Amino acid sequence: MNSVDASEHYEQAATDLAPALLTVIIDTNPHAWAQLEDSLSLSKAIANILVFINAHLACNYANEVAVVASHSQKATWLYPVHQDKDTTTSSDQDGDISMNGASAAAAAAAAQQTNKYRPFRMVEEQVNRNLRELMNSTTDNDLRLTTSTMLAGALTLALSHINRRTIAWAEAHGGADLEDTAANGAGGGSGGPGTARYSAEDDERLQSRILVVSVSGSSDSAHQYIPMMNSIFACQRLHIPIDVCKLSGDAVFLQQACDATKGIYMCLDNPGGLLQYLMMAFLPDQRSRRHLVLPTNVNVDFRAACFCHRRVVRTGYVCSICLSIFCEPPPGTVCLTCGTQLELGDYGAKPALLPRKKKKKKRVNGSAAGTPMSTPTPGP
Amino acid sequence: MRFGLSEAAWCGRFACRTSDIIIVLHSSAFDWTSCVAPVTVMATATSRPFEYLQSLPGVTLRKLYQQPSTALAIFRRMLPDLAKCFVMALLYLQGPFPQDDLETWVKSESKKQRDDAIDILKRLSILTHPNPVIDKVIEEKTEREQGGKQKKTVRLPAYQVTKEFARSLQQALMGSENSHSFGVFSQGPDQTPVSIADLDDYARRQWEGVLGYMVGTDALGGLREVKLSNGVKQLLQAGHLVEIRDRRVDITKDGFGFVLQDVNTQVWHILILYVESAEAIGMDSVEVLSFLFLLSSLELGQSYEKRHLNEVQLRTLADLSDFGIVYQDNPDAPCFYPTRLSTTLTSDSVALSNPVAGSITGPIGTSSGGSTGFIIIETNYRLYAYTSSPLQISLISLFTNLKYRFTNLVTGKITRQSVRRAIEMGITAEQIISYLLTHAHPQMRKHNATYSTSNASGIPPSVLPPTVTDQIRLWQLERDRLRATSGFLFKDFSAFNEYLAPCQHAAEIGVLVWKSDRRRMFFVTEHKQVAEFLRSQNRPQ
Repeated sequence: MNSVDASEHYEQAATDLAPALLTVIIDTNPHAWAQLEDSLSLSKAIANILVFINAHLACNYANEVAVVASHSQKATWLYPVHQDKDTTTSSDQDGDISMNGASAAAAAAAAQQTNKYRPFRMVEEQVNRNLRELMNSTTDNDLRLTTSTMLAGALTLALSHINRRTIAWAEAHGGADLEDTAANGAGGGSGGPGTARYSAEDDERLQSRILVVSVSGSSDSAHQYIPMMNSIFACQRLHIPIDVCKLSGDAVFLQQACDATKGIYMCLDNPGGLLQYLMMAFLPDQRSRRHLVLPTNVNVDFRAACFCHRRVVRTGYVCSICLSIFCEPPPGTVCLTCGTQLELGDYGAKPALLPRKKKKKKRVNGSAAGTPMSTPTPGP
Repeated sequence: MRFGLSEAAWCGRFACRTSDIIIVLHSSAFDWTSCVAPVTVMATATSRPFEYLQSLPGVTLRKLYQQPSTALAIFRRMLPDLAKCFVMALLYLQGPFPQDDLETWVKSESKKQRDDAIDILKRLSILTHPNPVIDKVIEEKTEREQGGKQKKTVRLPAYQVTKEFARSLQQALMGSENSHSFGVFSQGPDQTPVSIADLDDYARRQWEGVLGYMVGTDALGGLREVKLSNGVKQLLQAGHLVEIRDRRVDITKDGFGFVLQDVNTQVWHILILYVESAEAIGMDSVEVLSFLFLLSSLELGQSYEKRHLNEVQLRTLADLSDFGIVYQDNPDAPCFYPTRLSTTLTSDSVALSNPVAGSITGPIGTSSGGSTGFIIIETNYRLYAYTSSPLQISLISLFTNLKYRFTNLVTGKITRQSVRRAIEMGITAEQIISYLLTHAHPQMRKHNATYSTSNASGIPPSVLPPTVTDQIRLWQLERDRLRATSGFLFKDFSAFNEYLAPCQHAAEIGVLVWKSDRRRMFFVTEHKQVAEFLRSQNRPQ
């Protein structure tokens, strides 16, 4: 007789759970990996990440994965590679094609492939091949020119892929797509932390998240501050957590990314144990995370980079119109972003009520209780 | 406990002689099987194979886990999200993982989920308490007179992934050794490659043939005749899905429940039946089962070598091709193709409801159109089904009054009468609802996912209109007003006090079901203690 109870019959709708899309961004900056060579080589790290990706794919039949390399001079796809490029690049290394010409090598490859679940193998082959290509195409000149990594580009690639997949999935399954969720999220500002984040619709759509395996330091990437913050705010709006697994160095903006998107930030003391960290902390998807105590980062570095010289600043000047940040008063006190004529009063004086001059402190550690993320409109 | 009939009618049914004689209540108006039996058939996609696996002893499970493909399939299909997290977290750990740590890892408000997950893992012999538990030295304050601290070794309970499972899953993830656990591709160039569309067509034809055989081809009219082997027919009979009376095939109540399920559940149902009957014909059920899991990890559209298979596997293969689960040109062909029915065995129901197996359940014409469901149901109980498949139409007509039929559309209305008719045949409301849900048109999913929550926050969106699902349930409940309890009636007490004492005693020990002070009779589920009580009361006098 309990079955007439109003509560019971709504439960079964939740049994069909949406799959998860994991986008891994691997920082392949050769400079940083060279420094890390002793504790964890790139090839070993890739092997670990591949096992992790397999574990993700193993969790659900429909789970998807995408891998982006954030290299020193460009960001590029490792998996999935689009078909037109796939056919032009290589035909001999591709096991599928060479199989027909029953040579000895092909037979060996065929024998080897049977010991691995086919979807796993395809990811592995593509990632390894594309990474090798990427490394081969990197010239000495490229290395000399820059020591940083194109993280902002990689994030953007990842986001656009997630968007495409979510729309495709929603079309195929009739779930809510990102636009609906974003519209809902926008209604309540940037979504109150914790409470309303997990609406029923979040379960309906493709569960996307981004994992950044980062090795480069922060100061290198300060020049990408604006595009990076824009991608972070896009993630925040679409409820896509950015997880960061930091193998070396410490990145200011990535900490902020995790903090804003409710992702996991972990700085590994012992990079050798990468796989265990990945399996334990980063494997659970959004649904499981609701039940788990997550490793959180209390000390988030909220420093920003100035718009004029891309310096990471602790205290700076903010345009009163567009909220652009400057490390020093812009030349001619004209805002570089919006062109407003600004006036700069005496620095250090008690701020007056009149909007004569603006001086705002960018706060550092511990002051997370304020709303440091409430300025989601940095420039172009 | 509730009685639908009036007390008078209730009591009138019992014919009864003396005081402590006793009648087993038997109501002819009450149909036991209609409310009890279908519940067992109503297994969801996950639970059917899960229940079977759970019933296996630990030794068998461990033997099963030796194949990487099996470990992977069980990991993916049978475990809840949280359990997957646990297994993956523990998989690459060197030693066991302390129980306390595992418990602190999970939020306190999710205790139930954690216990469920651990329970399932233990029942499937995936997680064990290793024998040498972690010894931890804890400094503990002892009694005051000693005044100091004492070192004490505490044996902490810990968890570990079972060796066999851990090794196989690691192999599945990393790929190692020469196990052929994921099938072997055919080497030589294929003379007559079979396209995916052909495979789908074959699988659908065979499977609809099986269903058509069950429902009875006469009723379906235009269904193409598919030859079913005797093995298939015997299996259906052994599973009590059909009965053969006077050489006519009659579908049973279990069978009705079966045909309304989604394909994946049906396939599992059949396969479990097959595994269960495998022992009888001298095959090792573990081997058959692990071969099924192997099949589920193969890729659609690829042909696989047969020469690596052993005797049992070859025999299974031949039997499965009758169901359309695998395809082979002829029984002696050197290779075989898995069809969608097998490759989606361990996928999710989500993956199944997309084009993958939708083409099998769905209307015949639109196999590549990507449309999965085809039923639209409105809040006014009108039902529109975009299908021309005679099988689907006959299934829908089980619980709907069909009104019009067009070339690609049938319409009808779900009424009290039509649902009652279905329920009388042994179909439950849940089965009807789950059928409607699995075949709901994408437009309905989309519409309800986006709009139904906007006004009713807190209630997850339901694809079907809640008023319809509720009403179908209520229509079923109309038939459940009567509940039968077998037990014993005490009556014909000469004095009221004589009646009162045993009645109170029965109430105290909790066996009293019903009583009537006026007529001095009461009804209990257990009579022994009450009779004892009566005797002990009578003795002193």
